[in-house]
Amino acid sequence: MAGTMATSTPAGAFSASQTGVFGHGVASGDPMPGSVLLWTRVTPTPESIPGSGAGPDISVRWEISTDAAFTKVVARGTASTGPARDHTVKVVAGHLVAATSYWYRFILGQEVSPVGRTRTAPAAGAVVDRLKFGVVSCANWQAGYFSSYRHLAARGDLDAVLHLGDYLYEYAPGDYQARDVLVRPHDPAFEMTQLAHYRRRHAQYKTDPDLQVLHAAAPFIVTWDDHESANDAWKGGAENHTPGAEGAWGERFAAAHQAYAEWMPVRYEAGGQLYRRLDFGSLASLSMLDLRTYRDQQASNGTDPAIGSPDRTITGVSQMDWLLGNLTSTGPQWKLVGNPVMIAPVRVPSTLNTAELGGVQKLMGGTSISGVPYNVDQWDGYEADRNRVVRHLRDSAVKDTVFLTGDIHSGWACDIPADPASYPATGDSVAAELVCTSVTSDNLDDILNLPPRTGSVAVENAIKAANPHVKYLDFDSHGYSVLEVTAAGVRMDWFVLAERTSASSGAALSTSFNVQAGTGKVTPAQGEIQ
Amino acid sequence: MRRSPQPGAPAGNRLSAPGRRQFLQIAAAGGAAVVLSAAQGTAWAAPAAGRTRSYVLVVDGCRPDEITPALTPRLAALRSAGTNFPAARSLPVMETIPNHVMMMTGVRPDRSGVPSNSIFDRVEGMVRDLDRSTDLHFPTILERLQERGLTTGSVLSKKYLYGIFGARASYRWEPQPVLPVTGHAPDAATMDALLAMVSGPDPDFVFTNLGDIDRVGHSDVSGTTLRAAREAALAATDLQVGRFIDHLKNTGKWDSSVVMVLADHSMDWSIPSNLISINLILQSRPELQANITIAQNGGADLLYWTGPEPDRAAGLAAVEQLVSAHEGVLSVKKPSDLRLGDEAGDLVAYCRAGWRFSDPYVASNPIPGNHGHPATEPIPFFVSGGHPRVVKGSVSSEAARTADVAPTIGGIYGLKPPAGGYDGTARGSALTP
Repeated sequence: MAGTMATSTPAGAFSASQTGVFGHGVASGDPMPGSVLLWTRVTPTPESIPGSGAGPDISVRWEISTDAAFTKVVARGTASTGPARDHTVKVVAGHLVAATSYWYRFILGQEVSPVGRTRTAPAAGAVVDRLKFGVVSCANWQAGYFSSYRHLAARGDLDAVLHLGDYLYEYAPGDYQARDVLVRPHDPAFEMTQLAHYRRRHAQYKTDPDLQVLHAAAPFIVTWDDHESANDAWKGGAENHTPGAEGAWGERFAAAHQAYAEWMPVRYEAGGQLYRRLDFGSLASLSMLDLRTYRDQQASNGTDPAIGSPDRTITGVSQMDWLLGNLTSTGPQWKLVGNPVMIAPVRVPSTLNTAELGGVQKLMGGTSISGVPYNVDQWDGYEADRNRVVRHLRDSAVKDTVFLTGDIHSGWACDIPADPASYPATGDSVAAELVCTSVTSDNLDDILNLPPRTGSVAVENAIKAANPHVKYLDFDSHGYSVLEVTAAGVRMDWFVLAERTSASSGAALSTSFNVQAGTGKVTPAQGEIQ
Repeated sequence: MRRSPQPGAPAGNRLSAPGRRQFLQIAAAGGAAVVLSAAQGTAWAAPAAGRTRSYVLVVDGCRPDEITPALTPRLAALRSAGTNFPAARSLPVMETIPNHVMMMTGVRPDRSGVPSNSIFDRVEGMVRDLDRSTDLHFPTILERLQERGLTTGSVLSKKYLYGIFGARASYRWEPQPVLPVTGHAPDAATMDALLAMVSGPDPDFVFTNLGDIDRVGHSDVSGTTLRAAREAALAATDLQVGRFIDHLKNTGKWDSSVVMVLADHSMDWSIPSNLISINLILQSRPELQANITIAQNGGADLLYWTGPEPDRAAGLAAVEQLVSAHEGVLSVKKPSDLRLGDEAGDLVAYCRAGWRFSDPYVASNPIPGNHGHPATEPIPFFVSGGHPRVVKGSVSSEAARTADVAPTIGGIYGLKPPAGGYDGTARGSALTP
């Protein structure tokens, strides 16, 4: 028995460093039973600033140990880097023991990086008592501070952190912030459209002390959504891309992907395949989706017949086949899906007033048709692909599938109806969806410019009434989630920040929902994950 | 001929031996009588104290999500108190007879000879149920435990289950009264028989099928409008399970008992228009239709090539293509892919959730509640009881299957695997060594 995966690490055990050779911190990612990916960025000379293309090719030493004092180093090596990859370093530390905590660091000359902690996944088929993940998305530097990351790091009990996308934003200062307040301006001070811009923006985010501490505390498992490239990206363009003035989309998309590959602790290299699966013994698999690279253009609005076209896709054919192949009754019990945009159907009632409709429309990225906005950027806009997933789960009676979702800057807990029409009578659900809110990005009260938990509450109630499979909705809060996985159930706790624009904001538990094994349904849970 | 009770027969009960079998009539609840049978010479005395009792209760056709504290409080409490396997599933074909056989043999149909409820018998030239004792070609734990000096019992509510397991158990109950149409005895009567068996000969192991939930499931015309009837059946069966648990506790047997509860398959409902007739599909190709015989099993059709041998490969390929094209068909498999054996014929067609097969005629299967297809694989599966070996309050990710019953029960008694080994896995995580 592998036992409970995580071991407790004292809060504050990991330090941040915004300057010097290792001023962008260290990170690990994509834990597997025998290996984990280690990441850092070095600044070997003063001119080797991110995005500059300047500086020498160098070799960086790395080592990984079973103790924080590095008296039991189990592997070490060197990795080459240079301006061609913006002086980022990625190595896969292999030959590790499954379900084991490790500490790692990098060395360049006399300079030693901050120490990071990571942990390998349990062996294939191993019995696992419990997994615990941090779950985050939508962290806009300009809209506030990353207190959510600090609070997650302080827990010291996470097996990994799932980042479901919008790790960074493309906008120029003033374009997208905390309501009307620019809390921290982006660098570079314009919209990122070229490789050097993307590299500099990634570098800026990696100087955030809360982000550095969380990266050092636990391995990340990431996927991108749209803002890693541009708003509402699809394979041939984006809402926030102007061909010509901002270059060709293909070049911009490739630049975004290259910077992402360089700067993120992920087993992905530019031009490769981001969607991937990680397994955690017999307890859970985690399929991380890429819903931007292969998708067709969004439908023009909610009444566009293209929404139901079997020829349009959000996943692409190969990724859909891969996903359905992962959602089977063989293999690990829980089928977790890292899902950048919501899959549960959401219909917004026409009973909302104009301001409320406008706010929801802006938040959900939809288009207003006769007072009923649909979010055509979500799976709602690609009904044929969603039907493939739902029908597969239903036809094969695949149990214990949970979609873990970001993107929408709000907290949701939903059943995914086998048939939305009959759901009110039958309650039949093929899976559950748990949506974490934004770390900082604006949500409904921000858009409506109202105090939290005032005007949004009526909207939430109207949406829940129109969508009985939506059991929880918080349109206002910023924060993070903690996910616990056991054989008995999957549970999410939502934590909300007191004030995103305060660098020292506290956080408190808001609510909890559970998905009991075998049910595919969300139900309220009591207490707090321990 | 009626004899006086033999030494060891419970007081007040009557023993008779009309032929090679002997019968024991035991007073049951409400003044009724339960008649048990045994092989001539089998002792009716309860075995010695200090042993482990084990019981397998099959709640036929129950879906795992139907066991809830509100609807089935006794089953839910039993599940919470033991080790639950929420990832448990039935095995192909997800029908009653093959899965009961897999439970008792621990092997797949290609070794037992029992792939489905209904097959086309090539020797007899007819479609029939596998309800004969001679249809089962593999030893069950019902007789294998006896070889170790233990006693076993079967209390099976359905006529065809009584038929296929025949005289394999030390003690048997023949279902009665059997309801017309459903061919099963109500759970109240079945539980009377189980309690009588536990009160009387008190076998080391008893295999019980409770058929009411399944039978109501079959008759539910929509899965929604008669949901109340289904829930009533669940609640009623739960009461019967409660009677059994109370009986074990009241008679001091609870602390020596392992109680395993599972279903043989779950249930899926189709609306009247969602039916598939393969015979109708093949109407456009008379040369195929004439050479295919269909054994309909609700959510699965078994197809048998009965035409000229030289035409077999091409004919079956054409049939597979035609059948697969139907919107209600999920897949068409070869029996070997599902480990079903020769008895399953040449092709197995599965329907999608919300559909059913109806063959050879559109009117052949009017029952909206069906199973046999993958949508009906999930089952409840838990090990509970008062025995100190039962791991209490645990949930396991293990993918338990119906074929795991025999190795799990056999393991309790140190029974060696059969020749060739089990296909199922002993769920040892539910029991301490």
